[in-house]
Formats: sequence, C-alpha cells, structure tokens
Amino acid sequence: MRNVGRTDLPAEQRTALTKAIRWEWATIAYTLFTISLVALVLGNSQAMKTAWIEDMLSLIPQVSFLVALLFIRRKPTRSFPFGKHRAMTIGHLVAGVALLAVGGNLAVEAAIGLISGEHPTIGTLQLFGQTIWLGWLMVGVMLLIVIGPLIYGPAKLRLAPKLHNKLLFADADMARADWHTNAASIVGVLGVGIGLWWLDGAAAIFISIGIVLDGVRNTRFAIRDLMDERARTHDDKRTHPLVNAVLAEMLRQPWVRDAGVRMRDQGQVFHTEIFFVPTRRRPPRTETLHAAAERIAALDWKLQDISLIPVGRLPDEATRLE
Amino acid sequence: MALATQRSTGGSRRPPTRGNGPGRRRIASLIGMLLAGMLLSGCGLSIPSDPNGTMDRVEGAVLRAGASVEEGLVEKAADGGAFGPLADLVEAFAEEHGAEVEWTFGSEESLVEHLEQHRIDLAVGGMTADTPWSQMAGTTRGYDEVPGAEGREIVMLVPLGENELVYELESFLDRELS
Repeated sequence: MRNVGRTDLPAEQRTALTKAIRWEWATIAYTLFTISLVALVLGNSQAMKTAWIEDMLSLIPQVSFLVALLFIRRKPTRSFPFGKHRAMTIGHLVAGVALLAVGGNLAVEAAIGLISGEHPTIGTLQLFGQTIWLGWLMVGVMLLIVIGPLIYGPAKLRLAPKLHNKLLFADADMARADWHTNAASIVGVLGVGIGLWWLDGAAAIFISIGIVLDGVRNTRFAIRDLMDERARTHDDKRTHPLVNAVLAEMLRQPWVRDAGVRMRDQGQVFHTEIFFVPTRRRPPRTETLHAAAERIAALDWKLQDISLIPVGRLPDEATRLE
Repeated sequence: MALATQRSTGGSRRPPTRGNGPGRRRIASLIGMLLAGMLLSGCGLSIPSDPNGTMDRVEGAVLRAGASVEEGLVEKAADGGAFGPLADLVEAFAEEHGAEVEWTFGSEESLVEHLEQHRIDLAVGGMTADTPWSQMAGTTRGYDEVPGAEGREIVMLVPLGENELVYELESFLDRELS
C-alpha cells in the first residue's frame, strides 16, 4: 500500500486559482456596493427586499470559498491524515443550507403578504428639487446592477471546471441566473406602478422559489459529497471520468488480473483506493507498485491520494471498468 | 446566455438548472401578464397609480380627510371643519386638485381603521416618521418643516398602496414646505 500525494498545483490550475481568487474578491466588493445601493431605494416592495436579501446570501459562497482556501493549502498531518480539503465541501453545505433557510423564510413572508392582500406602498424621493417616484429608481438600480453577474458569472464558470471546484461552480451558476431576480423585481415594481399591487408579492415569491431551489440543489450535492459519494464531475452531472481512466491504467499493468476503485471527492482533490487482484499468487514488489501509483497520479492533478490494495477478491462496492 | 465551456460527452443528464428553460418561461409569462395588465388598464396609464383609484375619485370632487387632534397642528373648528398648519396643508392640497375637504375627527386607531376600510383618503395629526401605524397604513415621508412640529418629522397617513395619492401628496408637500 503506497500513498502518492502532490500538494502543489500544475501551472494551469495555479493561474486558474489566482484568477478565481481575484474574481471572488471583485465579486464581494461589487456585491457590497450593490447591497448598499439597493438599500437606498428599498421602499416597501417585497420583491426588492427579497432581491436585496438574495444579494446578501450570494456573499456566502464567495466568502466560504476564500476561507476554505486557507485550509485546503495545508499539508496533511497526523491528526488530519487526509488534509483539510473537506473545508471546501463544508463551505458548500453552509451556503446551501443558508439559501434554503432564508429562501423558505422569504417565500412564506411573500405568500402571507399576498394572501392578506397587503398593498405595497411605494412613495417618492426628492432628488435635486425633483420629486421622483421611488419605483423608477428601483427599476434603474436593478437595471444597473444586472451587469455585474453577467460578467463575473461566465468568468467563474470557465474557471470552476479547471479547478474542479463545486463551490465556485455553484457561485457562478447562481450569478448566471441572477438576472432572473432583477427582471422579476422590475416586473414587480412596475406592476405596483400600474396598480397591480399583487405583482410585487408574486415577483417576491418567484425570486424566493429560485433561492430555495438553489439551496436544495447545493445542499443535496454538498451532503452527497460529505457522505463520500463516488466522485462526480464539477457540475454533479455524471460520474467523474477519472474513475474509468484510473481503472483502465491499472488494468494495463501486466501483474493485474482485475481491478476496482473507490474514489471520493474531498473538495477539489480525490482520495482513491485501488483494489487489485494480482495475476500471480505473489503480489508485485513495492517498487512496481510505487511506479504504478506515480503513473496514475500523473493522469490528473486531482489524484493526490492513491492507495493500492492487493486483494484476493474485489469488494462489491468498488467500481469496475465500464 | 453564455454557457460554460464544457466537454459534454452526453451521458446521464440531470434536470436543467435555473439557468435554463423553466425560469425564462416564468419570467416571460410574468412579463406577458404585466403587458396584459397594461392593456387592460387602458390608455390612461399613469405610473404610479392607485389600485383603489383614490386620486381619480378626489380630482374635482371631495377629499375625505381624517384628523387626530393635536394642539398647534390640527384642531377642530366650531363649524365642524379643521384649523391649524396641518389642516391648512390638506386644504391647499385639495384645492390644487379642485376638491372640497370633508373632515372626520377621531383617535389615530379609528382613523387607521377608516383608511383600511377606504372611508377616508388621508389622515393627519401628530404622527411622525416613526409611527407604529405604518404596518396598516401608507405614510408619506417625514417633514420637519411643518409649523408647530417642533422639529418632529411629521407624516400624513394614506391607505396602503395608494401610490398615486402618495406621489401627488409628497410632490405637493415638497413644493409647499421646502
């Protein structure tokens, strides 16, 4: 049984990570700016309030990502023999649960307001001696701040697969869908403007359902990862192709009759146990095993932690080559 | 919308995320409803407008004002009308819209009840920007320039969600008190 681990990142991942960190800081700065801007024109619109809180929630994945980075860089120790890569998944879980709880709360609040027929009162603001309906300012602000996520969403979305970072992916995916929130709140406010008071609450419900769905999705994926589900792609759409790649590499060895893998995602990197049935009765020598592990580790930077385990019979739960 | 640069090799697909179909369809239907609403509400579309049409009713007719008596702000006159700085403001506002003022006097709670039932169009008294009634009634912005307010941020109460009325009222108060 051998462990091969790499704590350094290859060049492509290093630049991607540097960029991701820069984008996250930029996003946090931008979001703080939009939060304070929206606060100025909040008024009594439930849709605006919901959009505003969603903005605050969007900070959680970004902050979690940056905090988790502090942990995952640490080398494994005796007390934490697998390193601290899980910090990333925990951040993912925290973000998911926060979205779920707050989104649910907002949905209920909007529904109660709608059922009890609360007519939102949107007043005016005096700007440069002019009395302006606050609704126009709300629409203006929402149009203005829609720009940011359309820029940083796709940018982060390009980086997430390179880094195999699900938290970054979730963050980018939500940013990409952020314009829905802006559109809905504009519809809500203009609805109030033309006297359709219920459109505000309807828009608020629409926005909060989006938040809840994000929460459900992220919580589910994070929990599955924490429960050591077989490694999946960064978007959780399918089993990670590395499972098959490792098996194929293993089966190429002349001293392997059969092989099975248990691969789990620790957040960014994988922990892989390779069970193999040796061809001869005697297992190969340690040098041979070590060379094989090195070759497998070279397949991908994520394969940091590899154990080769000779067995008489493959365990049932190990994945075979498909 | 820009999609991620994914080397998708098919395989099992999960339900699409929020970035795809259903969200867009819902937005489209919301916008559709909004447009339909605009068409239904006809050409005389003013933004903001009153769901209960307060302003349309007041224009050239009667403004039903409620007052909670507060010495130096609004008091009951012998003829059943009101006098005081707040009463003057209400009268001037009504005059701008060619309306007569019909006064009702009562406690703040009764006035708010009247507002909720649309029995009066606005209420004045010693209410300030911190008024606890803001849950049940709409409020204007606070004005500390009202004579006799002694620095308090005086607000007027209106029925919840009558945004055209709020707009007209605040525009008037901005002109009158600045």
